[in-house]
This record gives sequence, C-alpha cells and structure tokens, in this order.
Amino acid sequence: MNPEIEAYRDQARAWLETQIPQFGRAARKGLSEADDLALARQWQAVKYDAGYAAISWPTDHCGQGLSLLHRLAFEQEEIKHGFPNDYFGVSLGMPVPIVLRHQPGEWARERARAALRGEEIWCQLFSEPAGGSDLAGLRTKAEQDPATGDWIVTGQKLWTTWAQYSDYGVIVVRTDPTVQKHKGLTYFWVDMKAPGVTVRPVRLAEGRSEVNEVFFDEVRVPDSQRLGAVGGGFGVAMETLTIERYQATDPAGFGPPLQLFIDEAKATQVRGRPAIEDGRVRERIARTYAMQSAMGAIYQRTLLSLAAGLQPGPEGAVHKLVSVRARQKLSEFAMDLQGVNGMRFDDELARKESWAKSWLTAPTGRIAGGADEMLLNTIAEKILGLPQDYRPDKGVPFNQIPR
Amino acid sequence: MTILYDEQQQAIAEEAARILAARTSGEHLKTLLETSGAYDETFWDTAREQGWTGIGIPEEEGGIGLGLVELGLIAEACGAVAAGAPFLNSGFGAAQAILAYGDATARGAWLPRLAVGDAIGAIAFAEGADMLPASPSLRCTNGRLTGSKPAVAGGSAADIAIVLASGEHGPVLALVALDQAGVARTVFDTFDNSRCAADLAFENAEATVLDSGDALAAALHILSLQAVVTAHEQVGGAARMMTTARDYALTRTAFGQVIGGFQSVKHRIAEDYVLVELARANAVQAAASHGSPAFARNAAAARLSATEAYDTVSRDATQVHGGIGVTWESDLHLHQRRARSLAIEQGPMPFWEDILVDLLAGEDA
Repeated sequence: MNPEIEAYRDQARAWLETQIPQFGRAARKGLSEADDLALARQWQAVKYDAGYAAISWPTDHCGQGLSLLHRLAFEQEEIKHGFPNDYFGVSLGMPVPIVLRHQPGEWARERARAALRGEEIWCQLFSEPAGGSDLAGLRTKAEQDPATGDWIVTGQKLWTTWAQYSDYGVIVVRTDPTVQKHKGLTYFWVDMKAPGVTVRPVRLAEGRSEVNEVFFDEVRVPDSQRLGAVGGGFGVAMETLTIERYQATDPAGFGPPLQLFIDEAKATQVRGRPAIEDGRVRERIARTYAMQSAMGAIYQRTLLSLAAGLQPGPEGAVHKLVSVRARQKLSEFAMDLQGVNGMRFDDELARKESWAKSWLTAPTGRIAGGADEMLLNTIAEKILGLPQDYRPDKGVPFNQIPR
Repeated sequence: MTILYDEQQQAIAEEAARILAARTSGEHLKTLLETSGAYDETFWDTAREQGWTGIGIPEEEGGIGLGLVELGLIAEACGAVAAGAPFLNSGFGAAQAILAYGDATARGAWLPRLAVGDAIGAIAFAEGADMLPASPSLRCTNGRLTGSKPAVAGGSAADIAIVLASGEHGPVLALVALDQAGVARTVFDTFDNSRCAADLAFENAEATVLDSGDALAAALHILSLQAVVTAHEQVGGAARMMTTARDYALTRTAFGQVIGGFQSVKHRIAEDYVLVELARANAVQAAASHGSPAFARNAAAARLSATEAYDTVSRDATQVHGGIGVTWESDLHLHQRRARSLAIEQGPMPFWEDILVDLLAGEDA
C-alpha cells in the first residue's frame, strides 16, 4: 500500500480513538433521536475543525484538497466506531457537492461550510410514488411564471432521507410533459423552509423514520436556483449519483461482522454439541467468509487502481448486491442458531451488533439506492452489453404514456 | 505482492491466451473424452515450450522463477479453453514439495526435469472421501511403500508422486518414482478422461521420505498451493462460460427478440458475472499473499469461490443455450465436465469449508 496513505490512516486512527468516549457507539446508546442529532452536529463540527470533514474536497470549497484515497482511508477507520455521521451522508455526499459544482461562489461556499460543520443539512428529492427505480417517470411538475421567471413546483416526493431535518434540498421536476420522459426534467435547489413545503416522516417496518414524504404545494422557486439547463435535469441527476461512486465499503453489508457469528457458534450448542462443529454452521461460515474476503479484495483492487491513476474495473458494482443480500441470510441463520432466544429484540442495539436488528433492516438495504433487480440490470446492460428491458414508454412523450 | 497485475503479468496472460486459442480444439478434446488415460500432448508440449512447467521453480534449481501470480494467469488462460492437463497443478505441487522438503539428491534428481516438463508429477494424499487422512492406509516402512492410493489425478502419466503415508512414527510425505516394479497403475474411465486418473498400488516400492516436519500440515500447504492454481483455472473456465452464455443470448432470438433481453436470462448471466468476479478477486488475492500468514485462509476462500463459480456458471451456460447446449457438438459439456473434475480433484467444497473454519475459529473448532 501507499506509505503516504498509510501514514495518514495511522494519524486518523489515533485521532479517532481519542474521540470514542465522547462520540462513539457507547456514548450514543439510549439517546433520543433529537439528542443523537445534536451530538452528531457536534461531531461534525469537531471533524471539520480537525480537517477530516471534507478530506478530498478542493481547498476553495472548504476542503483539505487531499485525494480520494485519503478520504477512503479515513472513512474505513471511522466506520469501526459507530460515530454519529448518519445524518450527513446524503447531505455531504451529493447535494452540496453538486451545488458547489454548478453554482460556485460565495453563497455556495457558505452553505458548504455550514453543511460540513453540521449546522445545515441538505436532502435529495429524487424518488416519487411513481418514480423510484424508474426515476425519469417522476411527476412533480414545475411551471414557469412568465411574469417573474420563477418556477411553481407542485407534487410529491417520497423516500427522502432526513428531509425532516433538512434546510435545503436538490430536486428534479418535470418542466415539460410533452416530450419523452428523460428530456422534460429540470434540476433545482430548494429551500425546505419555503412556504408550501410539507415534510411528513414515513415510519419504516423497522420502526424508524429516516425517510419522508415531501409535499410541494405551489412552491415558488426562483430561476436562479436552477442547476443546469431547462430540460437537462436527468443529466444533472445522473451526475449527482456518480459523485459518490467510490465509498468506503463494508463486506458485512453494514450488518454484524462474521466474527460475531463465529463467536456465537462456539458458545451455542446444537444437539448437545458446539454449533461450530455442525456442518450447516461450518458451511455458512466458510461461504460467507469467502464472499466477504472477495469483496475486500475487489475493494482493495479499486483503491490500488485509483492510486496508480487507473480507472478501476466495473466489478465494484457487485458490492451492495452481494453484501446486503448475504447479510440478510446470515442474520436469519444467526437468529435460528439462538433457538427460541432468537425471538428477543433490543431496539437499542445497532444493526452491526444485533442479528435481529440487522435482519429487520436488511430489506431496506436491498431496495434503497438501487434494488437488487436494478443492480442486476445495470450489470447485465452496462457491463455485459445485454439489451435493455422492453420499455413501452421509450420515445413516447411523457403525457402520452399510459398510466 | 500486489493484487493489481503489472504490465509484464498482463503480457504473460495475453500471450498464453493467444497461443492456447491457436492450439486448442474442442474436437481434439472430445476425442480425449472417449480415450482412457490419454492427455492432451499438444497442450503439454506447449506448456514445456513456453516454460510454464518451470514457473515457481527457482532458476538455480532449473526453473524460471516467477511465482503463483504468474502461474495463476497461465492457469486461467488454460481454464478458459478447458485445456490443461492435471500436471499443471500437481506438477507444480510435486515440485514445491520437493523444493521445500526434499534433500539435495531429490532436488537435483527431479526439479530440473520437472521444470522443463521432462518429468510429470502427481500428488496422492487422499484416500476415498478423506482428502487428508491422519492415519493413511498406505504404509511407509524403511523407505518402502505398501498399500494403495485411489483415483490419483494424472496418475496414469506421472513419473513421480508425492504420497501421504503412515510412517513408523506417524504420517509422512514420501517421494516415489512410479516406473518401478513395485508400482501398479490401474487406469479407469472418468467423465473427464484426459485427467488421467488412475488407482496406484504399491508393493514394497522404493520411496524417499521427505523432511516435511508435520506431514499433515505440509500436505495441506501443498494442497493449498495447488488449490490456488486450480482456482485460477476454474475462474478462467467460469469466465469463458459466462461470456459464451452472454454471446449466445445476444444472438439467439425467441418471441421476437434476442433472449438476452429477457430478465430471466439476463439476470442469470449477471449473477454469473458476480460469481466470476468474486472468484477472480479471491484467486488473485490468494496468489499475491503467497508466503504471508493469510495465505492458507486466502487459498481456501479462493478454492470455495472458484468451485462455486465454475460449477454454477457452466450449469447456467448450458441452460441458457437450451437444447443445443446439451448436444455433444456444442462443447459446453467440456466445461461442465471440467468444472466437476476440478471441483473434486483438489478437494471438494466440504473439505475446504472445514479447512477454512478450522483456520477461522481456531483450535476449538
């Protein structure tokens, strides 16, 4: 590995360890969401002051101007301790960088600084009831007021992560329903406190409400808040989604580490024998290890490619598909292994420490950010060159697509 | 050693693929299926000519140096065309055993010959379902072997074998020349005949006990080395089956479109891509970690992923082809057969699962 990156990693690791008592997993235990968010905002400010909040951002965007490899090294270390950075992942990952890119200037820099310090949060208003996997099928509309040039936005967004805490958002809306669906979209940033914006949290099956439905009722958006050309919104949306192309990954699919399963298998009995001696348990451990080890190697190769100035191979695309699906199955099996005690559920535990929590939240993981089926389509079409699915709406003006 | 191939390594891979494409034919491989105990001599001549037999053997012992990463790349190219003879793995394993545990006489007698392919090596550890018997029925007393080893890959063609036998004080590894009066080979038909499987029977056969220390640990290490070579061969086969299925799905039409446009087909091939890439990543990682403490577990992981990939993808590729896929003419069965023979020869999945869990869970597993 690159010695400069490793030195940086060592320094980051040492610094992170000093922060565990105040911000680590244990410090967060039992906090209400409001208190956890307050702690998270503090953590973000501490990170910013220490130069770790925007490692790979350019210095004129409040960043450190270091490489992606530096950032990934930091994130790999940070991910271990359960620090409260959940609320800022979307905000800093996509909306703020895209605004900085398309509307650079003092205002955007102020927003970036506030977002990096955790004072402001941005959300990403893409998905809708009628457009999730089929993003370009969205229906929220914006019509331009000829008198002022303002756009009047009306419609509903769905699955908007942390909208309930957001100050601003980026949004894709339909500005021309008479052309085919990808071509009639336009991209804006919006003030989430503007009149006509209503945010309603959606409680997910696991009980939490990270996502929301957001209603726009004739919300006035100045044309100066447009990012990209009128009708160019789909392109800006795709650009937004590729900003975070390379992220720190977790071969355990953001569930408990395999070592926890091994430890439990050693401590549990099946038919009077340690579960670790049971062939079914052994098979599962071995197969899961092989899969996770491969995911780790793919990730390492991506880093090495980036460090060598090469374009990483497309195989990183398998990560979410493989790791989250495997986490779901392993979590079920781990619960089975506990026998009737597998029924117990402690909502306080994080999904990386509780098989039940991991199992209950896994379906969200398999859908959010690209459902398994969409990921398979992407692999088949983009990597293997297989044909697109049959799409009856192709080339048809949006307002003539049968509903 | 890094897991990112350098230019020289990529050149080795491309050159191997080019030569093998020119010199391998499905027709020839199919005649071997119907012949007992014959291997692809064109392939073996190519391997010798290209120096592949000398990879992993130091220059001072008659080889050409290089290592597991390079041999892996060659094996991957061989796997892609279902070429290869069992000696690609076991010849390497036998050479590594002699290199690590043989005395100067054994090294001098066999390494230069193995390095240029004048001699062929085999590995005979397993006895039936037990890949690594702690108390082998084959006995080694005063440098003489008596007993048998069943279904030895390459056994009908090999000049020497490294055997796991019961010595006077526990298991030993021994080097035995196979062209001597006390050795009888029985060739039998398999579903992949060019693997040259044979039962070996020893009656007071002369053998050299190797200085391997813990013979079971040494045997496992040799198996791990071979497993990494085999994993690359499996990856090569799996990747070729995946692209063959993809190419067919792009040309075959049904219900008014190419079948690759149906999700049931395209998702199957996409899942196969995932298996191939996982297996490839593990294989490269294992080869690059040769000599490090992580090698044993990386080798086991590589073996598991590669076996799963080749079995699954060759099965799926046949399915995607429909009726034409199950014909003798299609050649898909060459890979279907090779997937299974490679899955079994170097230890089947349950064996490697146990090895891996023992490594992961420690002594009390």
